[in-house]
Amino acid sequence: MDVLVQLILNGILLGSMYAIISVGLTLIFGIVRVVNFAHGEFLMVGMYAVYLLGTHLGLNPYVSIVPVVILLFVLGALVQRFIIQPLLGADEHIQIFATVGLSTALVNLALLVFGADLYSLTVPSARQAISVGGNTMLVGQIVMFICAVVLVAGLHFFMQTTALGRAIRATAQNRNAALLMGVRVDRVYVFTFGLGAACVGLASALLIPLYPVTPTIGTYFVLTAFVVVVLGGMRSIYGAFAGAMIIGIVDSLSGYYIAPDLKEVVYFAIFILILIFKPTGLFGFGRGTE
Amino acid sequence: MTAKAISSAATSQKRSSFLTQLANPRVYCALLALSLILIVPAVIDSPFVVHVFVTICVFAALSTAWNIVGGYAGQLSLGHTVFYGIGGYTTALLIQHFGISPWLGMWAGAALSALVGIGIGYPCFRLRGPFFSLATIAFLEVVRLLSIHFTGVTGGAAGLIVPLNLGWAWMIFEDKFNYLYIAFGLLLLTLIVSWAIRNSRLGFYLTAVREREDAALAAGVNNTNVKLKAVMISAALTSLVGSFHAMYMTFLEPATMFSLATSIEIAMFSLIGGLGTVVGPLLGTVLVVPIAELARGWLGASANGLHGFVYGTVLVIITLTLPGGLVGTFGNRVGGWIDRLPGGGRRDDGREAPAQRPITGEPVKPILEAKNLVMKFGGLTATDNVSVTLLRGEILGIIGPNGAGKTTLFSQISGFLQPTSGTVGIVGPDGSMTSPTSADEFARLGVGRTFQIVQPFGKLTVLENIMVGAFMRHPKVDDARAAALRVARLVGLDDIKDVEARNLPIGGLKRLEVARTLATEPSILLLDEVMAGQSQSDTQKMVNLVRTIRDTGVTVIAIEHNMQAIMSLSDRIVVIDSGRVIAQGNPQEVVKDRRVIEAYLGEDFVDAQGI
Repeated sequence: MDVLVQLILNGILLGSMYAIISVGLTLIFGIVRVVNFAHGEFLMVGMYAVYLLGTHLGLNPYVSIVPVVILLFVLGALVQRFIIQPLLGADEHIQIFATVGLSTALVNLALLVFGADLYSLTVPSARQAISVGGNTMLVGQIVMFICAVVLVAGLHFFMQTTALGRAIRATAQNRNAALLMGVRVDRVYVFTFGLGAACVGLASALLIPLYPVTPTIGTYFVLTAFVVVVLGGMRSIYGAFAGAMIIGIVDSLSGYYIAPDLKEVVYFAIFILILIFKPTGLFGFGRGTE
Repeated sequence: MTAKAISSAATSQKRSSFLTQLANPRVYCALLALSLILIVPAVIDSPFVVHVFVTICVFAALSTAWNIVGGYAGQLSLGHTVFYGIGGYTTALLIQHFGISPWLGMWAGAALSALVGIGIGYPCFRLRGPFFSLATIAFLEVVRLLSIHFTGVTGGAAGLIVPLNLGWAWMIFEDKFNYLYIAFGLLLLTLIVSWAIRNSRLGFYLTAVREREDAALAAGVNNTNVKLKAVMISAALTSLVGSFHAMYMTFLEPATMFSLATSIEIAMFSLIGGLGTVVGPLLGTVLVVPIAELARGWLGASANGLHGFVYGTVLVIITLTLPGGLVGTFGNRVGGWIDRLPGGGRRDDGREAPAQRPITGEPVKPILEAKNLVMKFGGLTATDNVSVTLLRGEILGIIGPNGAGKTTLFSQISGFLQPTSGTVGIVGPDGSMTSPTSADEFARLGVGRTFQIVQPFGKLTVLENIMVGAFMRHPKVDDARAAALRVARLVGLDDIKDVEARNLPIGGLKRLEVARTLATEPSILLLDEVMAGQSQSDTQKMVNLVRTIRDTGVTVIAIEHNMQAIMSLSDRIVVIDSGRVIAQGNPQEVVKDRRVIEAYLGEDFVDAQGI
């Protein structure tokens, strides 16, 4: 029983990491209607940036959040402006190839510059364990959970109350109608893509204390993030949050009860089943067959 | 004439057609270019160059096989190395445990891959665009993780070494040039299969399904079936190449056999060369692979990642500048130059159109019976207890205000919508009443429909669009082309038959709808507002055309808003309003019916006029 509680707790903490990554992916898919296959590589870029800021300038990763979030916002906005924007009217497969190509280029650029070695930044404060009722958690994980909740709440507040948030929601509902109402849809897209990438910037700073960075770390996390996004219904940041928690718990439980090397098999199987049998996601927010 | 003489005559005819093929500059240029793959390494005679050329052959073959699903069928698989890995492991394990030669083992792998292809394709083909790609990635990951987990079978992450028995029987050689012969053979095989599909009914059907699923259904194409055929062929070919490549590398590990990066590269070469073209994948591979291999050869480990960086960057640039790929962008021009060589140019052989499907049956007997059709969309009842009987040989007009449920009725009697309740019966060729369950079955039974919102296959020419319809009764390409030409002349599209359909104005597209449907040689023709968007003179032509069609024995139902046209054309009119049949009878009676005038002009008007 104690093991189960600890496992679920681990799952939720892991889920909060997936939540931050998936919320960004969901924003981009839900509003720009592009599946960003390079999302994981944004994470990788962010992690290298945090690492470099830490080793060269001695910045604590939690301080690096500010510059890295800005950096990733700019990166996302540039990608939207110069790669996605010209392809919005193109065939879907061209859009897929564009982000897949970007992903391949970024992974290999990192391999070229940094090599395949693991780089990690030691942050003792984040690796401190806290014991609550016999269950242990790392400070870094708790910070991640808080950030995930604050991020979703903040985005909710932003989308519901600000003029820009309203414009974004309108664009998501109906691009042409928004255009006719004077919304500058192109700018909304650039901003949204930047925002989605900025979420990954946040995730990368929070991840560094817990995971070493390698060129392929993005692929590892983003495949799971795709599972989360589909589970959550693809259009909803709340769905993504809930999906992330579910996948976190599945990950943690199947790793313990089935086999550590088969936990990915379990959630990829869930992913395939959801896509096939319930393409609207668990909560019915979206449509995979659309 | 004896049977033997006939068969020898047939063989000599076949041989002569093969020779005519060779005289075609497109064929001999392709063969000359391909032979360079053997000649260049033979001349240079360096093990490294041989290795580069083997790699080119392997990746070109993989990419060509991928293109059958990714290009022709438009299903962007990013997990195709599943089949490559299954081929490699099956072959290697059969040698290891049973001493079976790879020449046999590779076919076992191909069969297994085809089965796995169906297992993946059947559930996933309903997914669109990126979600199909994601699902294929997920399948690849699952297989890769399982192959690591079951160490006892695959050797796990540590890998598996192929037993090194030298000689042709075991596909392991000291002289590396032998590998090039086999790799070249596999490349030729995939190219020939790809070319054969491109120039067959299957190829046309795949393009049709990729462009417009509904229009393909209306042309009698079973969408799932053709996509499954494509994935089986593609999986089997990919698997064969994987088997060979495993023998070449003599070492298998899950990370390379089920690699996502390789899956992406295979797809990438096709896009760079030109998706959905025969030579595109080969061209893309030839251009990009040498760069990567040379970088690896010259710079060694310090260039780790360089080739991937180049691939990714080239891919992004291609999507932004040449989305059609090299062949898609320059193919027509280069093809034109090649056709100017001796023996070139398309010969119009003036082949006679094959006999049309005869329409039999007694006139004025019911040919289609729709009984009590109810169609509900959520709370909206689009057709409310509609019953219509169609009599053989008549022209039935269906009129009614916008939103009355006319097109919904059409969709139900052509199988595109399953009625909430009620039945549709069609008199089949044997005279008995049947109720088909899917739209393509309706089409094959002889119910041809056009779409109110036109559904052309945009990237096919007008003639090719019509051919998609003609294939239903004439499976051979030449017959279908001849039959399509006949229809094009009848409908008045023959002067623009080589124009791509997306460049047609609306009037032309409407006529193309009619032509494609006519090419299926229907016994019942459903026309959904084909007069809309036509000029005055074209409308008259269309009216005459419909009469001509009826005179060949076809029964016609037409939805139309052009009153003058429909009234002069129809033998009988059915009026629908708010999902119900409010009147039917001959045109003169119907126009005087109080309910009909009310439906169109409102109660007030009727009262004011004192009708």
